[in-house]
Amino acid sequence: MRHRTLVYACAVSIVIAIAMAATSSVAGQSAPLEKPRAVAKTVTVAKAYAPPKTPDGQPDLQGFWTNSTYVPLERPQGVTKEYYTPEEAEVAIKRAADREAEQTEPGTTADVHYDFSQFGLDRSQSTFAKTLRTSLIYDPPDGKIPQMTQEGQKRVAERAALRKAAGGQYDDVKNMPIGSRCIMMGGAGPPLQNAGYNANYQIVQGAGYVMILTEMIHDARIIPIDGRPAPPSGVRQWTGVSRGRWEGNTLVVETTNFNGKNPFRNGSENMKVTERFTRVADDAIEYKFTVDDPSTWSKAWSAELPLVKTDGPIFEFACHESNHGIANILAGAREDDKKAAAQRKPSSN
Amino acid sequence: MRIKLAVPAVAVVLGAVLLLTSAQVLAHHAFAAEFDVNKPLTLKGSLLKWDMVNPHSWFHITVKEKDGKTTTWLVEGGSPNQLIRMGVTKNTVPIGTELVVEGYQAKDGTNKAVGRNFVLADGKRLFLGGSAGGVSDPAKVK
Repeated sequence: MRHRTLVYACAVSIVIAIAMAATSSVAGQSAPLEKPRAVAKTVTVAKAYAPPKTPDGQPDLQGFWTNSTYVPLERPQGVTKEYYTPEEAEVAIKRAADREAEQTEPGTTADVHYDFSQFGLDRSQSTFAKTLRTSLIYDPPDGKIPQMTQEGQKRVAERAALRKAAGGQYDDVKNMPIGSRCIMMGGAGPPLQNAGYNANYQIVQGAGYVMILTEMIHDARIIPIDGRPAPPSGVRQWTGVSRGRWEGNTLVVETTNFNGKNPFRNGSENMKVTERFTRVADDAIEYKFTVDDPSTWSKAWSAELPLVKTDGPIFEFACHESNHGIANILAGAREDDKKAAAQRKPSSN
Repeated sequence: MRIKLAVPAVAVVLGAVLLLTSAQVLAHHAFAAEFDVNKPLTLKGSLLKWDMVNPHSWFHITVKEKDGKTTTWLVEGGSPNQLIRMGVTKNTVPIGTELVVEGYQAKDGTNKAVGRNFVLADGKRLFLGGSAGGVSDPAKVK
């Protein structure tokens, strides 16, 4: 049995810190910057949290959640332990938030961008999850993605060669990243990933199904939990095919049948993702995932990314309709073509 | 090389703001493929319309040229979703609001730009600090 202490901190409100005796993790919520910074208070909760139930008896995961966090997927260089102390975690968060708000130098490529903080898109201006973990990856214990197999390295090289053969990344719509094309972005997963901004989700449960709606590009993953098998291997989808089941209060979701066009961390279409959702507090879901892809990594690896409660609703994203950037990028590429052609012309002298 | 913003944004005067621009960390697409780093510009004009759309919002700005003619510029900004959560609406920045936009022009030379800084006539930065903190008169919002 594990003993949990919930530490509620934050600006007016809330930072949840779930500090467990052996496996500490802290979830949190930031508040609008104009409000006063909060003082942390510690609340001890029952060691066995009993989640509310849906009308049909499922543990209730429904609501609006975010997985925004400053904790990196892999352990930073020079950090050798799995958990920071609460004080060290605060320093790490502050350092990351300061870096996010750092200024770029005018006239540099990095400077050609709108200001994230001006649009409230840096993470410290929205609800984000705090954790004492030094990396989201907890297995292997070094907090790093395992070594890539030779087969995986070969595939990565082949993909790079195909991209090169297709021409410049911005020459053609099909060469552009799928996020730029509004097909899908990283947050949807599976596994769910911190999207960087608008990292918000809504979970809805009905009889026989769980649905996860991702704000960024508005992907809805509908997960049957009625025991039906996965479809044949020939059925391939961008987000794979997910099947769920309850193990006690934990929703276990296994996803296979990826189409290979959106490789997670350079994985293959044979990747299997196993996710575990456990509501551990009114305001927090423990979210863990394991990625198993022997053709890419020498062994399976696992990470934990807390989901903390946030305010709804999920706003419509409608990415395609106003994705004017694509047309502008293509216009820029054609302008580059003209300049290149002019340079190739022999001089009239 | 990066320069760190060391003063509260709402207290920054315009001149200083124009020297400092904030870093992007994650982006929907490569803005340097859309806009030209060699075409920095400063637009002074009034807001004609703000399209609060994704993946990026667009400000339509009427700019008065030296010869008295006006031109309309389209200036790209960030996703509006988090601003909406903070209580920002289309009415937060009233039509006609005078703006100074520092940014970079589109590579194809048309009247489009990315808005690196949006600054109000009184020198305050728009939105910075969350929940429309940079708007001159909060009573006008919503």
